[in-house]
Amino acid sequence: MKKLLSIFLLLGAASILTVHAQAQVIVIANNSVKATEVSKSDLRDVFTGAATELKDGSRVVPILLKAGTVHEEFLQVYIGKNDTAYRAGWRSLVFSGQATMPKSLDTDAAIVEFVAHNAGAIGYINKASAHEGVKVLTVK
Amino acid sequence: MKSLFNRGLATGMLAVFTAATALYGQEFKLGTVKGVEQTVQIHGFGTQGFIHTDDNNWLTMNTSNVGSGEFSDIGLNLGSQTTSKFRWAVQGYDRELGQLGRWHPQFDFFMGDYRAKPWLGFRGGKVKTVLGLYTDTQDMDFDHTFALLPQSMYPIDLRDTSIAHLGGDIYGKAKLPNKYGSLAYTAYGGRRKDSKYSGYPYLLENVAPGVHIYLGGSYGGPVWGGDLRWNTPLKGLVIGASRQNERISGSGTLSVPAAHIAGAPYSEHSFADWTNWFYGKFDKNKWHFASEYKRYYQAKDIFGEEAWFDVDTRGWYASGAYTANKWLEVGSYYSHYRAFFGGADLVPNGPHLAYPSLTEAEKHDYDKVITGKFTINQYFTVKVEGHFMDGNGQATYPDGFYPAVNPTIQDNTNAFVVRAGFSF
Repeated sequence: MKKLLSIFLLLGAASILTVHAQAQVIVIANNSVKATEVSKSDLRDVFTGAATELKDGSRVVPILLKAGTVHEEFLQVYIGKNDTAYRAGWRSLVFSGQATMPKSLDTDAAIVEFVAHNAGAIGYINKASAHEGVKVLTVK
Repeated sequence: MKSLFNRGLATGMLAVFTAATALYGQEFKLGTVKGVEQTVQIHGFGTQGFIHTDDNNWLTMNTSNVGSGEFSDIGLNLGSQTTSKFRWAVQGYDRELGQLGRWHPQFDFFMGDYRAKPWLGFRGGKVKTVLGLYTDTQDMDFDHTFALLPQSMYPIDLRDTSIAHLGGDIYGKAKLPNKYGSLAYTAYGGRRKDSKYSGYPYLLENVAPGVHIYLGGSYGGPVWGGDLRWNTPLKGLVIGASRQNERISGSGTLSVPAAHIAGAPYSEHSFADWTNWFYGKFDKNKWHFASEYKRYYQAKDIFGEEAWFDVDTRGWYASGAYTANKWLEVGSYYSHYRAFFGGADLVPNGPHLAYPSLTEAEKHDYDKVITGKFTINQYFTVKVEGHFMDGNGQATYPDGFYPAVNPTIQDNTNAFVVRAGFSF
């Protein structure tokens, strides 16, 4: 019984941590992007190469983090794939001539810097990272 | 010499594998145009496979003894998004599949792509052909569960017949109102040309005992068609249809030493040549399902309308796969290939060539497959696969079992396939 209780407690803690972790990612965009919010499905389409525009007609270019927990979390929550499957999907588009691989940057600061200076750029960073000069999109 | 080369290739592949950490798609700055940084990206992929069969030799390799490792390919891609609407890309590809490919590199594609709107884009040059779910991505081993895609739909020995065309596409994607999902379309036209190291020219070289036809590198013709796919409101469900029309011509020489014929002119020309293709796939969490059906019909005259015959084949498969964790995916498919024969008098001058009497095994190939795919990391995969084939389906097309490497062809074949690949 004690064992069962421990398992439930652990599962509960894990789910709290997961919810907490999901709140760590924010989606940012260049100020030229008209939208202030984006649907989860639009975000998935843009970051998988299936779309190049948001619903309001804003043309966007996805920017990726190379690795890390924020990157993994973004893929898990908004794309529904792990990093390997996600990049394989992009490579498939590249090798069939349908797309160019999105730019991948090392740090949140580099993402913010790039997004701030490139029209249409859209990326994701840790909520706690500084993000002056870009707009934060609410994901619905 | 060839085995030495293969060993060299295998060593090279091993070296690439062990250099995992060095692999990453590279991007180089070219300069700045009107304030926009210009870069070019370099990506690549490659595989090395091994096949052992219990009976027939498969895919032009000597697989039925110890097995064969003459199953390799490699691709290198350069591309650049020059403006927000224009990009270009070029890809080289080379392979060895037994007697096919033979390490003669070719341009897989070279193209410019202008996307005016999400619903309207243009691409031209040598362009990969959109046909069914995977024709344009059939070489992307890293992105597929299976080491060999269902051969009823994607015969690896006949890759050249469908992979690309020299011409142009109009394509786009539009969201449907009321959350009915989205539609993606592609319409294309151009010319296709088979490599002389492809399956069909190789087949003709030993088309029957003592009969040799050499196409001399000329086999191809106009191709046009389209694809329409619906991303349905049910998340993960895609259904679609493709149609392709062709008019393929080839010319060369015929030799039949026993009849003292040497270098006689040979020609063939298809006057009815089309493919209908229907497909669907569904991804839900860790489960992946796909199914496709195609009918391929070709009627052609040979020897300048002296005679003609037709081929009519139907293929379909159903596949399922489960991603157990980030390292392991398991999958299975059933692939069904069947040949039918018609005989309308479409050519006024020529008699319809009767097919020799065929055994049931020669009219079909039913392949049951199980696979384990191991993802080492984002760059490397290894697949282990078993094929259990009922029939050899070699009546109309060799379907993997060529007379040149099979003096007598057995009815059934089991195959063990291992394929390791990298991509970056």
